[in-house]
Amino acid sequence: MARFIVRRLTFMIFLLFIVSITAFLLFSVLPVDPASLSCGQHCTPEKIAANRIRLGYDQPLIQQYLTYMKGIFAGRNYGEGAQAFTCPAPSFGYSFYRGQCVTEMITNALPATISLTIGAAIIWLTMGIGLGVISAMNKGKFQDRVSTGLAIFGLSMPTFFIGLLLIYIFIIWLQIFPFPSYTPFLDNPFKWAQALILPWFTVAIVSAALYTRLTRDGMLETMSEDYVRLAISKGLPRRKVLVRYVLRGAITPIVTIAGLDIAVLLGGAIITESVFGLPGMGRLALNSVTDSDLPVIAGITLITAFIVVVANALVDILYAILDPRVRLES
Amino acid sequence: MNSKARTKFGVVVAASALLLTACGGGGSSAGGTGTPTQGGTLTFLTIAEQFNHVDPQRNYTGQDLAFFSGYVNRTLTSYAHAEGAAGAELVADMATDTGTTTDGGKTWSFTLRDGLTWEDGSEVTCQDVAYGVSRVFATDIIVDGPTYAISYLDIPAGDEGSQYPGPYKATAEQQALYDNAVSCDGKTITFKLNKVVADFNYTVTLLAFAPVPKAKDTGEKYDDSVVSNGPYKIESYVKAQSMTLVRNENWNPDSDPIRKAYPDKVVVNFAQDQAVIDSRLIASAGDDAFAVSMDGIQPENLPTVFGDDQFKDRRVNETDPYAIYTAINVKKVNCLPVRKALFLALDREALRAVAGGEYVGDFADGFISPTLALDYAPNKLPEGIQPAGNPDAAKALMEEAKTACPDVYAKATGEGLVFDHPDTPTWAKNVAVWIESEKAAGIVIKSNPIEPGKYYSVVMDPALQGDISRSGWAADWLNASTVMPELFGEGGFNISQNQEDPAFPAYKALMDEALAQTDRAAQAELWKKANQYALDQVWAIPSWFGRSQEFRGSKVGGGYLWYPYGSHNFAALYVIQ
Repeated sequence: MARFIVRRLTFMIFLLFIVSITAFLLFSVLPVDPASLSCGQHCTPEKIAANRIRLGYDQPLIQQYLTYMKGIFAGRNYGEGAQAFTCPAPSFGYSFYRGQCVTEMITNALPATISLTIGAAIIWLTMGIGLGVISAMNKGKFQDRVSTGLAIFGLSMPTFFIGLLLIYIFIIWLQIFPFPSYTPFLDNPFKWAQALILPWFTVAIVSAALYTRLTRDGMLETMSEDYVRLAISKGLPRRKVLVRYVLRGAITPIVTIAGLDIAVLLGGAIITESVFGLPGMGRLALNSVTDSDLPVIAGITLITAFIVVVANALVDILYAILDPRVRLES
Repeated sequence: MNSKARTKFGVVVAASALLLTACGGGGSSAGGTGTPTQGGTLTFLTIAEQFNHVDPQRNYTGQDLAFFSGYVNRTLTSYAHAEGAAGAELVADMATDTGTTTDGGKTWSFTLRDGLTWEDGSEVTCQDVAYGVSRVFATDIIVDGPTYAISYLDIPAGDEGSQYPGPYKATAEQQALYDNAVSCDGKTITFKLNKVVADFNYTVTLLAFAPVPKAKDTGEKYDDSVVSNGPYKIESYVKAQSMTLVRNENWNPDSDPIRKAYPDKVVVNFAQDQAVIDSRLIASAGDDAFAVSMDGIQPENLPTVFGDDQFKDRRVNETDPYAIYTAINVKKVNCLPVRKALFLALDREALRAVAGGEYVGDFADGFISPTLALDYAPNKLPEGIQPAGNPDAAKALMEEAKTACPDVYAKATGEGLVFDHPDTPTWAKNVAVWIESEKAAGIVIKSNPIEPGKYYSVVMDPALQGDISRSGWAADWLNASTVMPELFGEGGFNISQNQEDPAFPAYKALMDEALAQTDRAAQAELWKKANQYALDQVWAIPSWFGRSQEFRGSKVGGGYLWYPYGSHNFAALYVIQ
């Protein structure tokens, strides 16, 4: 098992290295001049040229890459004299458009996205797996049809539509909730939850649908396995068979997909964050693209890639723990 | 899950839902003015991700100037916190009066009041003001702000701008140049200018002339958080999230005749959705009753807000400082009859309808906005002007032009006049109105769409500019000295290219006289004369004076559009308790 983990982590580091080079090269060939975005509205050619040197954009590409990577581990200094300032490690550069270190911008945006992701994940997994179990246990019956119908409904609805629908019903029409205004958890947990409840359900309704289907199909397949029939014939309680044998057998692909879904969501749920005005990674990414704020786009790309690669590795390790056959085959 | 557990679970869910909706629903959307009282939290909602700038020397947008001058940064002079034309009055703020000049406007002195303090309790000194102004010269760091200090102060120019490079890089000799132009004698600061600037006491209302304590200056990073000498200080500023202002305990109300500091706390919530802002304020439920929009009202919601009397105490529809006009390249269209014909033929009603209707603005009769209350007077429009255009009168003028200026006539009726405009869907509709209405008079208009980001760099280049160019302008301070010389004199924004027009010398003489006139009332009469003169020469065609609409929650009072900046007077807003 230890060797499996070490191999997995080594591959993860290699993958991250490739991603960083690819992202850096991609941004370097874009037709946007980052130096021209660094000096406000009254930008003269002389100022752009001076800033190009100040920010290191005049250096060879390999040097720029090494400086950038060094900044991630050791921080980075910009300017000199009264103009000098530092973006501490891990530094993903500086946004002159917004006048902030990219790391600070991402750090400010992450809590909202993490809050959205974790809450939504709990709801969609509960809803999805719960409905899937009900559906599998009552195959062909009314409960199965209702669950399947709900799953199709959820899958077919665009996220923005669900978000706007929930806003209309619960905020404008019934006036049950106030308009969401994100409050950090530590400032006021009640207001934090109040602001996130509709965004949670917006993400969860779409995602739960998939997990309902996955759970149902996985359980039905597992229930037809010989060892399950043996367990039932040996007289084990139905509940014990369901949880210990059927669900455990069906859960492994769900864990894999859930891990990746959560990782991708941590990179930002652009639509949900925009609809509900949540100051998260998704909205930061969208605004950065609109504003051609290259340092921020590059930083978000690397962070998201890091999260996905790490999540993928963790899911593989978890999969190996849950299913011994995986680590034996490896 | 068994039935007992099911029941328990249901109770928990129901209780949670009730708890979370506790502060959610209901709330009156009716407004009220109430009586100004201290207390409460005022919340502002905006689609912006952040303020353009917080650094006073970099702050140059009207709303941001109004916000920070109302709460955080004081200046030597300011404007009366009053509604309508009364808000155009210049008043003393940090200074004991609105400034004195003993040589006709080339040297100005201001004496600081007693009791001016920073948020840490230390005194605001004359040296702090001098230092703040000096930062404007550090043009590699202090970008985007107004540069009047560089233009006006008596410091020799170098090869690339001023010989004084700002406080971060100046040598002792260079610093001496600045110290000679801006000096302190106790609490009195004296500015020596390189020319007569009769309204320099208006210039110093800009935050570019606000004090900054040298020891707390962080250069580029000062834009993230500034030191306050106003009634509030910045407690937190997280871009794309919020800014929170709390009371500055060291602000001395006795030293501040103009700010009342009503709310206990001011919160700005950034990055909100515009449609959601409107919906929240219309519903005005819960905490939204204490909220104010910083972005006006969406066009589709204007009928709702202005058509229903329940919102009458919460809405504002007022003239803003912007004068929208279309400049004519007088060098190329050097024929007054043709320029007049263009004006007479234009269907301004259709143009305004396409732009958004009556909420967009009122038909302009000149180039000085009514918000410059002292300098504005209604102009006499050319004979025959009608809102929907007067093609017959225009044709008559074109007949006159046939013999008076045959070359321009031939171009206007044949090849066509090139109309520069931003390449946007709105302007595609606007130019269609121009083409149709001028066609009725026999004038051909050719559309020249320009990428919006490059628009002004094209039209301000005489080699690239067409024959007609759309534009708009607002005064930098409440004096037409930043309008008439800029648009038609030797100022930096003259896209009418009228310097070779035979009528220009008389106009220039008028400009010189007005700029040197320190008697404000007499100066105002000269601006009115200049406004009429520019209109008579049709160096530009006025479109409309802009209007802005503002909206606030049902428990916010004191809202009006403040003439100096065309935005809320933030300092006048209060929470209705």
